Amino acid sequence: MRPVTRAALAVAAGAALLAAPACGTAGPPSILDRETLVVGVKPDQPGLGMRIGEDRYEGFDVDIATEVARRLGIEDVRFVTVLSSNRQQFIQNGQVDMVVATYSITPVNRSKITFAGPYYVAHQDTLVRASDRDIKNVRDLKGRKLCQAAGSNSWRRVKEERQIAVELVPAASYGECLTKLREGAVDAVSTDDLILAGFSAKAGSALRIVNAPFTDERLGIGMRKGDLDGCEAVNRALTAMYQDGTAEKLLKKWFAASGLALTFTVPQFEGCA
Amino acid sequence: MTPVPTHQAAAAQAPDPAVTASPPPAAPGGVPVPAASPAAPPAPPPRTGRLSSRLQSVPGRVLVITTAAVVALALLFGALSSSFQSVRDGLDVIGHDAGPQVVATADLYFALSDMDTQVANVLLIGDEHGLGKGRQRALDVYEQRRSDAGRAVLQASALAGADPAERRTVQAVLDGLGRYERLAARAMLLDEQAGHRAGPPPQRVLEVYRQATDLMRLELLPMAYNLTLESGTVVRRAHEEQSSDVRTGQVLVAGTGLLALGGLLWLQVFLARRFRRVFNPALVVATVIAGMYTLTGFTVLGNETGILLEAKRDGFDSVLTLARARAVGNSMHGDQSRYLLDPERADTYEQTYLDKSQAVLFAPSGNLGAYYKAVAAGADDYPGRQPFLGLIGQESARSGLPGHEAAVIEVLRRYEEFQRADRTMRGLGPRQAVELRVDTLEQRFGNYDAALVELAGLHRTAFDRAVRSGEEQVEELWFLLPLAVVSTAVLIVAGVWPRLSEYR
Repeated sequence: MRPVTRAALAVAAGAALLAAPACGTAGPPSILDRETLVVGVKPDQPGLGMRIGEDRYEGFDVDIATEVARRLGIEDVRFVTVLSSNRQQFIQNGQVDMVVATYSITPVNRSKITFAGPYYVAHQDTLVRASDRDIKNVRDLKGRKLCQAAGSNSWRRVKEERQIAVELVPAASYGECLTKLREGAVDAVSTDDLILAGFSAKAGSALRIVNAPFTDERLGIGMRKGDLDGCEAVNRALTAMYQDGTAEKLLKKWFAASGLALTFTVPQFEGCA
Repeated sequence: MTPVPTHQAAAAQAPDPAVTASPPPAAPGGVPVPAASPAAPPAPPPRTGRLSSRLQSVPGRVLVITTAAVVALALLFGALSSSFQSVRDGLDVIGHDAGPQVVATADLYFALSDMDTQVANVLLIGDEHGLGKGRQRALDVYEQRRSDAGRAVLQASALAGADPAERRTVQAVLDGLGRYERLAARAMLLDEQAGHRAGPPPQRVLEVYRQATDLMRLELLPMAYNLTLESGTVVRRAHEEQSSDVRTGQVLVAGTGLLALGGLLWLQVFLARRFRRVFNPALVVATVIAGMYTLTGFTVLGNETGILLEAKRDGFDSVLTLARARAVGNSMHGDQSRYLLDPERADTYEQTYLDKSQAVLFAPSGNLGAYYKAVAAGADDYPGRQPFLGLIGQESARSGLPGHEAAVIEVLRRYEEFQRADRTMRGLGPRQAVELRVDTLEQRFGNYDAALVELAGLHRTAFDRAVRSGEEQVEELWFLLPLAVVSTAVLIVAGVWPRLSEYR
């Protein structure tokens, strides 16, 4: 008679074994499972992401990433360089876990990767040479040379959305745009005010922000498409950072000197998808 | 009913090899002895004091098998009740916690956003009180929204429960609302004193309004919106957890059910052999009950995973997405007023209008002109091959719910009409633009918003229905579960007790 129980036990155990893999959650690996978080930041944007040595970076984006990682319980964070032109690809093929690199959340970007945040809503503004007094707002850029940094959408806001007839001059990065601006190869650089604030602080009085913001740029934290657990956890961390004043402290640390009007309350999140 | 066998009757008869497969009894003297150990002392044994020999006696073995069957049954009923509890929890979170939370916070966003829009309208109308639907109406709507917002804050606060981050957010909204009302009242008072024609008000009015709208758009609305999103997070997590619990529960029910059936069958066979009875009716009934519960439990839990998924995907997710679309849409409608109100910031408001339009319904286009065309083309194509992106785009790609497609077509049609009116407005001179804004455009937006509410209602109904049907199915079984526990217990005792008493 014993075999009856044994058979029943065997069936039950077999069923349990078969079911076990089905109980695990499917989906892509989450940033929450990482012991070391590899974060992509910009190498050449003072105030946001700036490479200051071997594997060492500083700036608002770097601080945000560090703080978020800490609140997710990840102690070890490694920073690597990403550019506007390759950050999406880096996320997609797993070279980085997370990107905090003045990455604008747009419907098209959102269809390729998952965005937490925005961690800040920046506004597009224009940087010109301090000697150039003719440019008072974006509309005055008509007929002038505007720098077009590879992989960035900012120039579209001027030429396509505002339909202002500017002459585009391509450059590999915003760092190169700045050099071109100082040398007179371009007349203006137009992008997020946070980026411009960092550059103008660095360049001293040679450059000037026009201070006529004309867009909302939602800067998001990019991660692999479908990592909803990670995205929601980052959003909760961001909420807490704004509620306890950490975000205000970091914003002031990097941008108070530029005289920009900063917002210290939590931005409207995009929702994880 | 088979006659109750007595020990003496059994002893008088010779064992029938056709009934018992076990080796012939070691003691032909007539008493049944344990089959498993021929070396066991003749039974009924005197009190030996040794546990193993007691267990090897017939009553001992009956007790062991009975205990095994009862334990397996207890496990089965335990698995059933804990799985049902998971289902109830899951339905509770989706149906009675986060569902209402989404509605309350979306209402909050809507009320706040419309407050700011109405203030902008009042300032735009200026002295020309009869323009469009008129200044008084804008003021009345403002008051109405103010009280809606107050109510929604209270509700959101009650639903936020113990979550500290959410409570802080609700508190911050409440504080901000007070500040906003003061700024808005001041802007409207200054505007009245200034007495200007329809269109942008004087600079000092604008300066106060800018403070008010910045507070609203940069601080309060984001918080309200994030509260709505947070309910989505809560539901998604609860859903994942509970559906995996239910799936595990299903396996456990199957496993413990088989175990219990095996135990009862074993008991049945053992008793049949020992006491030469083909059936023990009480045990047969207990076995049938256990079998039914295993099967029904397994099936119902299977259904419940489906129902939980349906309630979440076709109901909750859609309701949430459409609530977000409605929120973003209202704020986009407000940007139209602000665009006309504040020439210095007109570029920004035009861009945020395009951004929000793209978030609601994405059509590839670099500027508003191209967007109008893309929307018109896309709306005509629906339900074509190319799905839209954006919140309504996401919803239009769903299918399955009856009436869904027709409702989406209506939303798209109304949205396109609204965008066409926006195009007209931006081409007009300041005064006509204001007139259009507070009349035709207001109407077009109302129509679009109503179509959206209609579509959301469709999903809300599907959601409520799924939650209710899930609850009913579980409740029925839940209600009968104690009955099953008691009746199987009684039946087992009824089946085994007479046999044991033969040995007294």
